[in-house]
Amino acid sequence: MFIVSIIIAKFASFIIKFFHLGAGATWPGEIALRLNPHILQKFSKQGKKIILVAGTNGKTTTVKMIETILTHTGYSVRHNASGANLDNGLVSAFLQDARWDGRLSSDYFIFEVDEATLPNILKEFTPHILVLTNLFRDQLDRYGEVDVIAEKWQQALASLPPSVTVIANADDPHLVLVGEKLAATVKYFGLEDPSLFLPKMQHATDTIYCPRCGSRLTFGGVYFSHLGKWACGNCKLTHPRVDVASRDFSSPVEGVYNRYNTLAAAMVAREVGIEDSDIKEALKSFTPAFGRMEETNVEGKRVKILLSKNPTGCNESLRTVLSSKQKGPLLLVLNDRIPDGTDVSWIWDVDFENLKNFKENIFVSGDRCFDLGLRLKYAEVPCKGMYRSLEDAIKEGLKNCKPDQTFWILPTYSAMLDVRKILTGKKIL
Amino acid sequence: MKHQLTIGWLYPELMSTYGDRGNIIVLTKRCKWRNINVSVLSIDFKTTKKEIESCDLVFGGGSQDRQQGIVIDDLRNNKGPVLKELFDRGIPGLFVCGAPQLLGHYYMTGDDTKLTGLGIFDMVSRHFGKSKPRCIGNTIGEIGEEFEVEGLDFRNTVVGFENHGGRTYLGKGVQPFAKIIKGCGNNGEDVTEGSVYKNCIACYSHGPFLPKNPHIADWLIAKALELKYKKKIPLKLLDDTLEWEAHEFMLER
Repeated sequence: MFIVSIIIAKFASFIIKFFHLGAGATWPGEIALRLNPHILQKFSKQGKKIILVAGTNGKTTTVKMIETILTHTGYSVRHNASGANLDNGLVSAFLQDARWDGRLSSDYFIFEVDEATLPNILKEFTPHILVLTNLFRDQLDRYGEVDVIAEKWQQALASLPPSVTVIANADDPHLVLVGEKLAATVKYFGLEDPSLFLPKMQHATDTIYCPRCGSRLTFGGVYFSHLGKWACGNCKLTHPRVDVASRDFSSPVEGVYNRYNTLAAAMVAREVGIEDSDIKEALKSFTPAFGRMEETNVEGKRVKILLSKNPTGCNESLRTVLSSKQKGPLLLVLNDRIPDGTDVSWIWDVDFENLKNFKENIFVSGDRCFDLGLRLKYAEVPCKGMYRSLEDAIKEGLKNCKPDQTFWILPTYSAMLDVRKILTGKKIL
Repeated sequence: MKHQLTIGWLYPELMSTYGDRGNIIVLTKRCKWRNINVSVLSIDFKTTKKEIESCDLVFGGGSQDRQQGIVIDDLRNNKGPVLKELFDRGIPGLFVCGAPQLLGHYYMTGDDTKLTGLGIFDMVSRHFGKSKPRCIGNTIGEIGEEFEVEGLDFRNTVVGFENHGGRTYLGKGVQPFAKIIKGCGNNGEDVTEGSVYKNCIACYSHGPFLPKNPHIADWLIAKALELKYKKKIPLKLLDDTLEWEAHEFMLER
């Protein structure tokens, strides 16, 4: 049955691609899962090394960094397509790798896993390494509350044996609570760099009360949202000692969040047995995943796309734009389709007020451009243009971008795909 | 004479799940643009009764279950009675998202635990566990002319986004805030959405309710001024082209 389902799913995948019906990132897996609901178990039993990356932000970039380092070292690596992080996405990646008889060929499988799906995936197989990046509020309509996810993770991770290494972000109190009582080997990464502390707490913070006892946490400093040097004065849940800090590995891309992604990836590489010097060397060749600080050239102008899909991610994107030496116009794109979350309330948690010091033109677009326009109006930030048509918005932004400047685009998930499609249509990407 | 308002914001750190502060931003800016001074008082554990009494308008956002658990005792024992006094006096208020469940007589959770509320609003809420699905999505409601403010633009619709598992049933002591046209509203049965007690509105719309409903924002401001200065204070008409564009866009969707 295993082989039959593989043959059918692989054949379907071939048809899908041949007739350009889709990228085949989820459908082949979906078909295989219908035929064989526990196909993930079957694949994992072949003894290949599997690395999972879960969390609200940074999954795609972390996976790409791990892949870069492992490939650089000579391993063959297979990963799931960005965003295809439910069970069907994982199965699709396995299918792509498998021969017709179902045998896998790559050495390592690195998968990003949706927050809500992680517990179900862990029921199917045990990974070798599990990375937990962070937990922020994101798409409340889909994921529910941060507390609820942390609780489900705690239960799901309890059954992992000591042979599994869990690599978690020490700066996120919820993840430390999750890591606290595990039988698995837990290692932590954290920035440990006070020069990156924000002058004050942002509004979009999700864990300022102790996730264990509910008392107010104290913060020696925060890097963004609630990530920082925290402690609970009441139940003594504390920031654990980190095994890797930012002084150990520098990030190949701008943005504080990319420092976290770098540390997580480097820890995985160490766990795999790669020397620090090789990790550093490999990271130099890293190029961002699509839409994540992705850089491209359009008519001689630099365009940078920064996926911005939740308050913390968007705040960090704005911080990156504002602190960058590269100046130029800014386009914000807000969609409310299923992959974006149908609720756009979150834009009111983003500190768009910081754009008051932004000297360049700002444009808005997307399905919910009026909501964005309103948000800017109430932040008292001038908006140069509101475009129902994304194509017009991109044209206008490019026109506004001087040759030596950068055109910054901050889209939500489906908007990012649209932006790329428009740029690709122009034979740019 | 320059007018002044104090807006009380209930537990901004704990009851602010998803863009709730949008309401405070809108109230503050719409006052500022009319040259009305505003100060925002964060009501938390340390806030005294006297400080709460200085509020001319009160706002409460939504909270996660754990956060709600943290504030409920303080609300019931310390803040509830003084808030009731304020609302009985006609101080306007806006409560969005889960806050209405807090204001009623009780909230019955999915596993039949009865959580006593503040009892300010004559209503009860109940979670039916898995037997009734969560209500998630954009909403449209129809409101009455009592929310019209003289000299300002009025629409008889409100737009919002709901995301709640519980169902609320109104008693005789409150009026429904709106008739639900799209969405689930209080319970999906009697076409009501939200409730009104004196000048206080509680609704299931969550997060930033006021940005796309500027008429409700102005109604709250007008009521607050009227009560404070004991006469109607005319409000300057603002350019709300963008607000109504966003409002109408949601009506047509």
